[in-house]
Amino acid sequence: MGLLPFRRKGPLAKPSASISSVPTRRRSSLKNRTVLFSLMAALFLFATGCYKDGMSTWEAFGPVAQKQLDLFNVILWTMVVVFFLVEGVLVYAMIRYRRRPGQERPPQIHGNTTLEVVLTIIPTILVLALGIWSVFALFEIDKPPSDSPTPLQVNVTGHQWWFEFEYPDAGNGKKIITANEMRIPVDRPIQISLFSDDVIHSFWVPKLAGKLDMVPTHENKMWFQADSNKIDEDLPVTLFGQCAELCGLAHALMRFRVTVMEQADFDSWAAAYGPPPTVTDKAKKGAQVFATNCTLCHTVDGPDDPALSASRLKGFLTGGDITPVPAPNLTDLRTRQTLAAGMMELSETTLSAWLHDPAEIKPGNYMSEKAVLYQGGSVSLDEDEIDALIGYLLDLR
Amino acid sequence: MAAITGVLARPTSYAGVWGWMTTVDHKRIAVLYGVTAFIFLLIAGLEAGVVRMQLASADNDLISAGRFNQMFTMHATVMVFMVIMPLSVSFFNFVVPLAIGARDVAFPRLNALSYWIFLFGAVLMHISFLVNEVPDAGWFSYANLTEKPFSINRGLDFWAIGLLVMGAASVAGALNFVVTIINLRAPGMSMMRMPVFVWMTLITSILLVLAFPVITVGLIELTMDRNFGTHFFIPAEGGDPILWQHLFWVFGHPEVYILILPAMGIVSEVFPTFSRKPLFGYPFIVFSGIVIGIMGWAVWSHHMFTVGLGPVANSVFTITTMLIAVPTGIKIFNWIGTLWKGSIEFTTSMMFALGFVALFIVGGLSGVSHAVSPSDFQQQDTYYIVAHLHYVLFGGSIMGAFAGIYYWYPKLTGKMLSETLGKLNFWFIFIGMNLTFFPMHYLGLNGMPRRIYTYSAEFGWENMNRLASLGYVILFVAFLIFIVNLWQARNSRRVSHDPWDAPGLEWSIASPPPPYNFAEIPQVEGLDQYWIAKERARAAGTPLTEPEALVDPDSIHMPSPSYWPIFTAAGVALIGGGLLSHYAISFLGGAITMMGVIGWGNEPAAAPSEHH
Amino acid sequence: MAHAAEHEYTTTGLNHRKMLMWVFLGSDCLFFGALIATYMVYRGQSLVGPYPIDIINVPVTTISTFVLLMSSFAMVQALAATNADNKRGIVSWLLATAFLGAIFIGFQIVEFNTFKNEGLTLGGNLFGASFFTLTGFHGAHVTLGIIWLLAMAILAAKGRVGSKTALDVELVGLYWHFVDIVWIVIFTLLYLIGGFDVGPVALPGG
Repeated sequence: MGLLPFRRKGPLAKPSASISSVPTRRRSSLKNRTVLFSLMAALFLFATGCYKDGMSTWEAFGPVAQKQLDLFNVILWTMVVVFFLVEGVLVYAMIRYRRRPGQERPPQIHGNTTLEVVLTIIPTILVLALGIWSVFALFEIDKPPSDSPTPLQVNVTGHQWWFEFEYPDAGNGKKIITANEMRIPVDRPIQISLFSDDVIHSFWVPKLAGKLDMVPTHENKMWFQADSNKIDEDLPVTLFGQCAELCGLAHALMRFRVTVMEQADFDSWAAAYGPPPTVTDKAKKGAQVFATNCTLCHTVDGPDDPALSASRLKGFLTGGDITPVPAPNLTDLRTRQTLAAGMMELSETTLSAWLHDPAEIKPGNYMSEKAVLYQGGSVSLDEDEIDALIGYLLDLR
Repeated sequence: MAAITGVLARPTSYAGVWGWMTTVDHKRIAVLYGVTAFIFLLIAGLEAGVVRMQLASADNDLISAGRFNQMFTMHATVMVFMVIMPLSVSFFNFVVPLAIGARDVAFPRLNALSYWIFLFGAVLMHISFLVNEVPDAGWFSYANLTEKPFSINRGLDFWAIGLLVMGAASVAGALNFVVTIINLRAPGMSMMRMPVFVWMTLITSILLVLAFPVITVGLIELTMDRNFGTHFFIPAEGGDPILWQHLFWVFGHPEVYILILPAMGIVSEVFPTFSRKPLFGYPFIVFSGIVIGIMGWAVWSHHMFTVGLGPVANSVFTITTMLIAVPTGIKIFNWIGTLWKGSIEFTTSMMFALGFVALFIVGGLSGVSHAVSPSDFQQQDTYYIVAHLHYVLFGGSIMGAFAGIYYWYPKLTGKMLSETLGKLNFWFIFIGMNLTFFPMHYLGLNGMPRRIYTYSAEFGWENMNRLASLGYVILFVAFLIFIVNLWQARNSRRVSHDPWDAPGLEWSIASPPPPYNFAEIPQVEGLDQYWIAKERARAAGTPLTEPEALVDPDSIHMPSPSYWPIFTAAGVALIGGGLLSHYAISFLGGAITMMGVIGWGNEPAAAPSEHH
Repeated sequence: MAHAAEHEYTTTGLNHRKMLMWVFLGSDCLFFGALIATYMVYRGQSLVGPYPIDIINVPVTTISTFVLLMSSFAMVQALAATNADNKRGIVSWLLATAFLGAIFIGFQIVEFNTFKNEGLTLGGNLFGASFFTLTGFHGAHVTLGIIWLLAMAILAAKGRVGSKTALDVELVGLYWHFVDIVWIVIFTLLYLIGGFDVGPVALPGG
């Protein structure tokens, strides 16, 4: 019997029959093997339609991601060559040395020391070469090149389940704190310090760099840069990011965006950063609703006061039912594209849905758990209040 | 001498449920481990099914986020600790004493104890389902997500204490096998004449006894943090969650070699049999196993490349991880060398073994790509890793286990599993496995993180996920086929003691083996002893067609059954259970354990019989 | 346990149970190693006191260490008596070992209590957590050893321990000496070296 379960002479087990008396079906199993391999090859090719959008790592928009991709391409092709080589020898051996009817016992070869030594040395050289090259690359991507423009410092803090971005100096000494959407100027290194206020998260923007964990006990540093000559679209371009370390219930929903723009556009955004305007009556009413219900956790008038942040964090960590918790800074919400940590496009409709029932969109989120507003089962604001709030936050005139 | 042997008389027979509960026979314990492992395989497989069905579509809401986290946590925890490890131990139990020409392991009652503690520990962890407080922080449960206030219910306590109990079982079992292999080899069987499977058992057992204490400490510290007020991994009080990661992975990396070496041992037995020539490069395969065992302690932080240890630490582990690919490569080359110029017969067992090599090459290569740490920064925590680990654990360990099952089944039962169903089984697994896990390489490189219960359509991951979920269905059918095969084999025809014309000593005795294994302890002259004996007999014109003749079992003094192992195991499990409910139960468990140890100590290994 | 002399076949000539004990002790090394590693990692990391220098009493613990070392001496004597079939000697020396071990545990209990009263607790700081966990598990090992020694002493009193069953005494001896050696390591690291650790240096400005 060959590779396939087609019976030719009944089940294999005849007590004293020598096994080699059962003939093998050479042709059909060869044909079937070919079919199988074609299928696998087809699958391979189909899958190799490298998907380049979204979170794909196949496209690099900056030097760090590029270096990592270059390294990966080399090892990928090395792997592919080794794969075909070794699997090829395996399959060849299977075909060439299959048992023929009446075949005698083959020569009882025990080994070949020379072959062993050669097959030890060659892989060792290969892996060491790749390993040493990797080490050089590691150190190379550790810091921005010395001839780069002055880096922009961004402090990123991970929270369950959103990203906080702090720019200690976004330009002219202006401090900015925002959430879930990071803006960066193109062609300038971004020096990132990663922190966490609760559990371990991971900061990952595949098109710019590999990930680095956000650990509650120490600061992790990384950098990346978006290169205009690598981005083939017009700026501003928005890239995807996602938390890449299991951090609880809503880990899958902890996403963010990175918008790459010209330095001038970045400067305008930074200059315009400030509390939402209260020109209309609706906005004034909205401001009041916000002040009454939301300011325990959310800040809307600029960067969060450090003492306030600390007290929110303390409340969160010590537990308890209704305590203030760290929450995204909403100062520039009106300039953002997404809502709820990169979950959906921001619009009146989505913000309204969110305000009505956050748990529906993001199960486990702390706003539904801790805010007084949501403890009664449904949101304890009426439609006018919600409407006003939206108008205020989104600067709808 | 009967003195304090307890209230109950010592069991004497093999019969019935009581016979199974009190058995100290390694062959029966192997069956216990094997059946238990298989049941957990089905459970963990269903958990995987839930995961795959949820991920088959973007923005799916088949199950909640919380339930999803439980499913992948339990899937992995069960597969690692309650499927692959006990399957391996099942093989150790059945094969090793037979392969080294021994009558049983060095400590038969300790052997039984290991099984019962394992079973009770596994059950203990699954009680979490009954109280709906299921572990949900992933199979390596990173602190400080596992601490309060982030994991408040007892799920993580079930996880930690279940593992502590099962860890004790693993260590007890491994201690037994180390002594058995070193000290119970038949005369003439030097270390370099041991079958490779026995070598791999030895290395795995040494790894087990050295690695488990490390995670034991981690689990103790986690349990103390969660229940006794310490702050080992709590940042606010100065603790460092990264310490958990180090403790876990110092255990965790040797653990993955614990998971794969037995399967490599099985393949090393199957290949020579069905190529009809000896294993190519025996010393090199042995030495590469030893080297892997030693080097496996030097690579753990490659699981932590993205933690921020710094480029110096990352460089060191990049190099060590790269280097450990070399001994694995040597094994693969030697397996191919065994096929070379051989006479290959494609039995089901051989096909699974070949499938192991084919798929392990893929898993090993993707592993090497992880070693390149800068690229690992993109791959870590994505489905690219999930692809790698399933190729080595499913394509590796599970395929190896199936090869072993089909190979040694006739020795265990005297009957053959159906080759027809077996080959169907193989193809469904091979195709299903590749369909499920190959797309995951692409998913990972396309940016899909692990452990997410849902994803948006805009990322373009849906097609590959669909493919993977389809592959699961094929795997599901594959396991049904296997069950059918097992079932129908009950009534299949008897086969000879040596249906494969195999080289190992275990094939020289009757199938199923008599309780005493060997009537006469064999004298070993070289590697592949049974081939040597058969060749000599053939050359002399009197070929060996019969197994070693059976003798009256009472004439050979074997260890007697005992209820102390299951009794003591219950005590140990109660200690753990009490920590999850009321401490009084732990004290009761402690008392029972004490009683068990004393009763055991006063009971001789073998009951005095009339002949003595 | 105490039955007829081992005449089982062994490949190496070494007794199964002795080999088992050695491998088990190797395993236990890793256990204590991981606990010691935790202590070492957290040296100087406690956010609040009490710190080792405030608490650790090297002179007193030197005495208890000496007591434990003497118990190992007693253990050696017990084995010698066993090989000489000196029943009274066996019982006396086994009891002496257990007794000295109990004194050591007594010192530990008093020490733990004193520390607790001085403010060092499991949950108070990392020093408390790592100190009590490490020394606590060591103490548990000693306690189990004491129970084992007492059981052996009872068997010896019944005449079931002698040169033919010397292995049983050797086994408890191996275990006991191991536990003693672990204590030497703990004493050196936590007391002689780490015992003088002060808390974090105060930063300028508070």
